[in-house]
Amino acid sequence: MSMTSGINRTPLIGAIVGCALGIFVLQNGIGNQPTGKQYESISETLKNGNTRTVKKLKSGVATPAFQGISSSWQRDFNQGTVETQGLSPDQLLFALAGFREMIAGILWVRADSFFDSGNYDAILPIIRLVTVLDPKQIDVYATGMWHIGYNFTDEEQRSDRRYIPSALALGKEGARNNSLTYEMFFETGWMWYHKIDDDYSNAVTWFERAQERPDMIPARRNLITNAYERDGKVDKSLDTLFKLYETAGKKAKEDAAFGNKQNRDTLENKLDTTLVRMVQRGWFAGKDGRPLTGYDVNPPFDTGFSAKVTVTEARVLRFEGTWNVLPVGTRIRAVLRDADFPNAKPAGMEWDFSNDVNLDPPRDKTFMQEQLFVRNQRFNKKVDMSKDPTMYPFTSKDYVIEFYYNPRSAPPHIQDKFSWNGEGFTDKNFLNTQVREGQRVMYTSVKISKDQLLRRGDWREKVPVIKTANYLDKDGKAYNQADQVTIDLPSLRAN
Amino acid sequence: MFRPIASIAATTVGEAIRRKVLLIILLIGVLFLVVAPGLGMLSARSETTVLRGMMLGIIQLTSAVIAIVLTVYMIPNEIERRTIYTILSKPVQRWQFLVGKYFGAVSALLMMMTLMTSVLVFTFWLQQRDASAIPDLIKAPVMYFVQMSLLAAVAIFFSTFVSPLVNFFLSGGLYLLGSLFAPFFQTLQESQGTPPAAKVFAQLINTILPNFANYNIQNPIINPGQQIQNEGSYYLQVTVYGVLYIAGLLVAGTIVFDRREV
Amino acid sequence: MRPLAAAIETKQLTKTYKSRIHGKINVVDSLDLHVEEGEIFGFLGPNGAGKTTTIKMLLSIIYPDAGEGYVLGKEIGDMSVHRLISYVPERPYYYEHMTGLELLKFYASLFGINDQALFVRLLEKVNLHRDMSKTISQYSKGMQQRVGLAQALLNDPKLMFLDEPTGGLDPIAHREIRDLILSFREEGRTVFISSHELSEVELICDRVAIINKGVIARQGKLTDLLRGGRVEVTFEGVTEQWLKDKGMRDSHVRTIAGGVLLDTTEEEDINALIDAARSNSGRIVSIVPRRKRLEDLFIQTVTDAPAAAAKKTITVEESTSV
Repeated sequence: MSMTSGINRTPLIGAIVGCALGIFVLQNGIGNQPTGKQYESISETLKNGNTRTVKKLKSGVATPAFQGISSSWQRDFNQGTVETQGLSPDQLLFALAGFREMIAGILWVRADSFFDSGNYDAILPIIRLVTVLDPKQIDVYATGMWHIGYNFTDEEQRSDRRYIPSALALGKEGARNNSLTYEMFFETGWMWYHKIDDDYSNAVTWFERAQERPDMIPARRNLITNAYERDGKVDKSLDTLFKLYETAGKKAKEDAAFGNKQNRDTLENKLDTTLVRMVQRGWFAGKDGRPLTGYDVNPPFDTGFSAKVTVTEARVLRFEGTWNVLPVGTRIRAVLRDADFPNAKPAGMEWDFSNDVNLDPPRDKTFMQEQLFVRNQRFNKKVDMSKDPTMYPFTSKDYVIEFYYNPRSAPPHIQDKFSWNGEGFTDKNFLNTQVREGQRVMYTSVKISKDQLLRRGDWREKVPVIKTANYLDKDGKAYNQADQVTIDLPSLRAN
Repeated sequence: MFRPIASIAATTVGEAIRRKVLLIILLIGVLFLVVAPGLGMLSARSETTVLRGMMLGIIQLTSAVIAIVLTVYMIPNEIERRTIYTILSKPVQRWQFLVGKYFGAVSALLMMMTLMTSVLVFTFWLQQRDASAIPDLIKAPVMYFVQMSLLAAVAIFFSTFVSPLVNFFLSGGLYLLGSLFAPFFQTLQESQGTPPAAKVFAQLINTILPNFANYNIQNPIINPGQQIQNEGSYYLQVTVYGVLYIAGLLVAGTIVFDRREV
Repeated sequence: MRPLAAAIETKQLTKTYKSRIHGKINVVDSLDLHVEEGEIFGFLGPNGAGKTTTIKMLLSIIYPDAGEGYVLGKEIGDMSVHRLISYVPERPYYYEHMTGLELLKFYASLFGINDQALFVRLLEKVNLHRDMSKTISQYSKGMQQRVGLAQALLNDPKLMFLDEPTGGLDPIAHREIRDLILSFREEGRTVFISSHELSEVELICDRVAIINKGVIARQGKLTDLLRGGRVEVTFEGVTEQWLKDKGMRDSHVRTIAGGVLLDTTEEEDINALIDAARSNSGRIVSIVPRRKRLEDLFIQTVTDAPAAAAKKTITVEESTSV
């Protein structure tokens, strides 16, 4: 006879099956569980006046009979999906090892010390890792984006522009991962508006998307009107100003907090100023088809751009030239880049070409962009690219120098003459309506060779000088010096 | 029926809180909690985010290590030191022994986590002088406690049939997997490219795996701004989930342990 | 079929382990044990003979693969018997952080007992009442063994299992334990001792069983088992040859200083021989009966069986005259 051991297993197995059933139902819920994409965010004002974002099911999406833990967790607590691309195996292991927020925090603290010591190279991978570990840390996205876009370049000139697409890509990723809140949409818009300072339609798009998020703070909402102006949509700007003013007025009535009143007053001032400017610049007259005689923008003002570029030493350029606008505030864009720089376009590039946060932009390419500040109708700036060969590697054979001025970027007191879209702006030699479609800009470009830039070969002894035909020296004489070789910039209308 | 369980649990607590290795881990955790604000100050822009993230992370990590180290040795040690024979020769059923040991472990864990949470609250208050944030902050350690109780149940289940070292990696691995799978699962389910069979398989894993991620509720606490819906009922749901899973594991552990030749 | 009078009764009790190398091994093979109530029963065998396995089966800590067994009339596996028995494992370890008193309290709580006076009384009995507030970590081995015995008395057991109760203790501790065990019998308890320390068992046990390689080799009353000793007689005035010529079975004769020594079995007619020697003007110097010792029986038992491995573990002591 064999003795059986211990307890009766049947009820125990029954109990396990019971637990398993309960677990299954709790975890998976009953009925179709909504996915993340089936939610939209709605603003909710709390008793203390703060607003919070709430996720609500989009209309048409059925509420499940019982929402499982899995679905609820994904909605409210998920740190974000693990993006594995661009991560080294050890970084990936970190990300997989849990405690994501903590490790992200520790790394971010470490990054901070690198900021202090100026060790920017060390920060980029940390930013990448932190955003992967905790994609909800908006601060890290925002700071990282600002850092890559503004800071990560040569220390003295800040002229390198190769990292801008990476910064934008980081902003886009941050917005994707934090689509409930306005912040990354706003930050990405700001990058277009302020740093790229061109292609304002992109700034408008991002600001509009930020505007859709209910948690956006009022003062930041106002910025979109500036973006509309720079995008040439002045009517839309005015319209938005009215709406914002109305909302701010209501808000100030409901709650007479200082901030609310101040915002209303700011908007009122801005609205006044805009209306005055629209009248002065003949905006309404133009729309009505009335003659612009007597308005500030008429007749268009000739800026009389001329320039001379001297390669004073290897990798060192001096930009000189004229600009007939007397008030200070003009910045003319100068670009020096590889002739075959990928995704290049006149006086810029397709900034937005990538969705991947690539922390290693083309190391063998050169893209220098500078602002030439005008004083007393002249500009004179030395650009030294000899310090940091990683920024300006000069590996290509041929290069392009470009000059570009867009009245849309001009400060208001200059725009009072040029208007928002350059209606009052012209340049006898270099007015261009092609490079920015439908816009009146100043643009010209010239080729320059590697030998000339590096003062090698034939150019070891000779000083290369590139100038526009209309360039005159300070004393008004035509430019002529025996030891320098002059290359004229082509101009259709010169002479 | 419950008296032996309570006695065994109480003895287990007494033993656990005297185990040097656990006390050292706890001490390290507490030390980190105390110095965390010092580190947080370095990062001015996102100070509270970093501080909350780090402090909660320290509590979670320390608790997880304690939960595993505490539990994996519990039953093998009893067998090795033959203390189990004295107990089992008394009118004590094996399931009572197992459950008593488990509750002892959980009680010891509760004591240690309460200590760490107190340090967290105190340090946070000292640093931020903001008492209003504290109730929100405490939610995370409370949920971590349920998480660690589940982890302890996993470890004690394995300890009925594998060696402590294997168990350490098994339980630790399962903890990581159970924490990681949920975010991965989301990606998999929402991706267009995932074959249907893989989705079904993922669903199966998501159901079977102890979903430790359910208790990782720290993200909205660290990065506030989003309203959590039906917060209370979610916490209730995950607690019930944990209790059911623990019950299942203890029953399964009993079945294995009852047949085990000790 | 249930023998009511027996404290322990097993029939063909078998425990099999599977080994990767040797296949199935019967650690305990068809064990037939019989332990009377109220006796001290010695369960002897070399290490690995299956002693502890048998005890564990009787305690329902492990389960037999075949056969049957009864403890206090209840079939093994019946947990209710645990209220009436107790167990002190080999070289026990108790929770070190507890004091002696706390330890008793803990084990008593498993029975639902909470009786401070009882704890103190038991600690007095094992002579630990002065040390009851010390933690177990401060106890010597002998003290730990004694506190183990105290906890084994908590439920006033009818049957006690003591696994190697004197293992690793010094001679004084041996004696303390031995006296305690004898007192248990006086209190009417049945004591089942597993041991390989034969001198101890010989001193206190009523009956023994010798197990080797999982099989009971001998079982019975100690006095019966040890029957068949030898006698040494020293003669003066007779020659070695004279004695040899008497043709006694199983005997040895040799000349020693001051006489001739005869070593023969108890069964031989010694008296007749002495008479013959005297009438032959011989003189008897000494007659020394050498009782058969448990060691001899044990060694004989385990070496009779092909137990080469078991041999190594046995310490063979020089037999000395009593």
